[in-house]
Amino acid sequence: MSENLLEIRSVSKSYGKTVAVDGLDLALRPGSLLVLLGPAGAGKTTTLRLVAGLEAPSQGSIWLEGHDVTRWQPNQRDLAMIFDNLALYPNRTGYENIAFPMRLAGLPRAEIDQKVKAISSVLRIDHILGRLPATFSGGERQRVALGRAMVREPRMFLLDEPLSSLDFMLRIELRTELKRLQKEVGKTFLYATPDYTEALALGDMVCVILNGKARQLAPAQTLYDTPADRDVARFVGNPPINLVRGELGRAEGRAIVRLGALNVPISAQAESRLPSGVTQVEVGIRPENVVVQKQAASGAILGRVSDVEPLGMHTALGVDLQGASLTATIAGEREFEENQPVSVSIVAEKLMFFDLITGRRIGG
Amino acid sequence: MPPKRFTWYNGIGLTLALIFALFPVLWMISTSFKPSNEWVRQPPVWVSGDATVENYLTVLWPSALLEKRGGLTQYTEGGEQKVAEQTGVGGAVGDILNKSAWQAIWGSVILSVFGTALSIIVGLMAAISIARYRFGGNTTPFFILSGRMFPPIAIAIPFVVMFSDVGATDTYWGLILAYGAVTVPFSTWMLKSFIDDLPKEIEEAAMMDGMSRWGAHLRITLPLIKGGVIATTLFIFILNWSEFLFALILAYTKVSTIPVQLSKYFSATEGLLIGVQAALATVSIVPLVIVGFFIQKHLVRGLTLGAIKR
Repeated sequence: MSENLLEIRSVSKSYGKTVAVDGLDLALRPGSLLVLLGPAGAGKTTTLRLVAGLEAPSQGSIWLEGHDVTRWQPNQRDLAMIFDNLALYPNRTGYENIAFPMRLAGLPRAEIDQKVKAISSVLRIDHILGRLPATFSGGERQRVALGRAMVREPRMFLLDEPLSSLDFMLRIELRTELKRLQKEVGKTFLYATPDYTEALALGDMVCVILNGKARQLAPAQTLYDTPADRDVARFVGNPPINLVRGELGRAEGRAIVRLGALNVPISAQAESRLPSGVTQVEVGIRPENVVVQKQAASGAILGRVSDVEPLGMHTALGVDLQGASLTATIAGEREFEENQPVSVSIVAEKLMFFDLITGRRIGG
Repeated sequence: MPPKRFTWYNGIGLTLALIFALFPVLWMISTSFKPSNEWVRQPPVWVSGDATVENYLTVLWPSALLEKRGGLTQYTEGGEQKVAEQTGVGGAVGDILNKSAWQAIWGSVILSVFGTALSIIVGLMAAISIARYRFGGNTTPFFILSGRMFPPIAIAIPFVVMFSDVGATDTYWGLILAYGAVTVPFSTWMLKSFIDDLPKEIEEAAMMDGMSRWGAHLRITLPLIKGGVIATTLFIFILNWSEFLFALILAYTKVSTIPVQLSKYFSATEGLLIGVQAALATVSIVPLVIVGFFIQKHLVRGLTLGAIKR
């Protein structure tokens, strides 16, 4: 008996020539929350639908609590799914939407009533139970969909971008609520989102899916600090990471990487981890590791501010460095102007190196 | 945008459209009450000053007419031509005028009701499998429609051959099959468009909530496309009600329909019996008008409002 609640074993799904999911392996422990993070079309929704039984995999198998459920119908799997368009029953009231799964299960009327009331007060939707979905606001629809899923106490929940079209404040509020509910009921969540900040806020573990493949499975902060490859690095973080061609070499007895005219020293530690013989690499620099100063500093080179974008807590600067351009984030208020000459240096310890061809991160 | 006001030029446009659409119907009704000498006349008789129900009696109750006249005598300009005393002595015309149209009306009702039911049931299942499971890929829906791309007579002739082989000619069940078969392309395509409009996630949500696939299709989808099913049913019913060719060549004596009966009101001496035809045609639109009136409130779309976020 496996201790995983869900196991996806080398599952592929293709539609004609299009491969939506490509050899995916995933496992979920009971009570955990796993976020599937990836851009639109990466295969997140297909993965959820495969788990739900709404699609059959082209290859591989899906296991729930130690049973191979690959050929089971959706209604045999005892899972709840929240669709990205919510899919409420338009001809049923809020109450009936939530009661529907229990009516199907043949629960007694009194029990249904009591459970609908209970879940509605948790979700604060008591006041809309008598109305049809057409009259609900976005947040109310969301909550009714949640209620319909939660009232059943299924094996696990599949959530497909459930917060994607809500406005910002509501999204944050419901995100917190979801996380609290997950912890409270101790249920297993598989949650798909294209939003890195949402993944960061929600997930114990995050699985980045790109082009139907699981690229990296790690806690959200690890994805940010040590991405497995260039694509993950690019997808995670806002403003996005700077990726620059660089050449490894030595100058004045120290290992350096040349980024255009800029020589950045590499720590001995990092150097020791880089494979020997590699000279051309792609260098990833997070915007907060690009240091922009008004005065010239040692080891810094001159550049020019090309763009200033205030982001509230910090400011994103575009900097031109004799051909190369980098994005930097600086704390605090706006102290730079466009076309202002500045000196730029880079926090050497935080550099990431990627293989030019495979895109995989090298040097630990 | 606030709804636009109904203005006088809207009214004129609407009136013209209504006249254009309804004039033939009004003319038919008017003709059905005309005595034979007013059927074709220059200048035309708009409303008969000498209105009669004899055309209706011919269609619905010929024996009453026979009694009234003391023998079946009809539609001759100069005096009395005895057509038939007891049996159809007077040939084809006598036959057709001796007999009421009830057999044809009854035939039309049976064939239209069951042919439409068959067409909707098969069409609904086809539409679900095409819309939800992409059954047959991109080409099958097209080939389903291809049956309607030939002149109907091109399909009717093979039907005659097949039907006589299996003994289906001149039977109700044979014609019901034929009516269903030739209207299935329309019901499939119409129903498919209504199902396509409905997000499939609503069905899938029902499956996740514990429903079987069949249950989701029948108990979730079907109620939500009710308006579409009713509209399609009415459309197919009208097609079947007015079908002529198949009834003409696949049925002889035991089965008849209103359109076939209409074509038989023809006299050797007078040509088309226009007034009698108009009377039967008027009778034949009555059920459709009544049904259409009662179901018009169901002929709406937009039931999915609020199901999904946009």
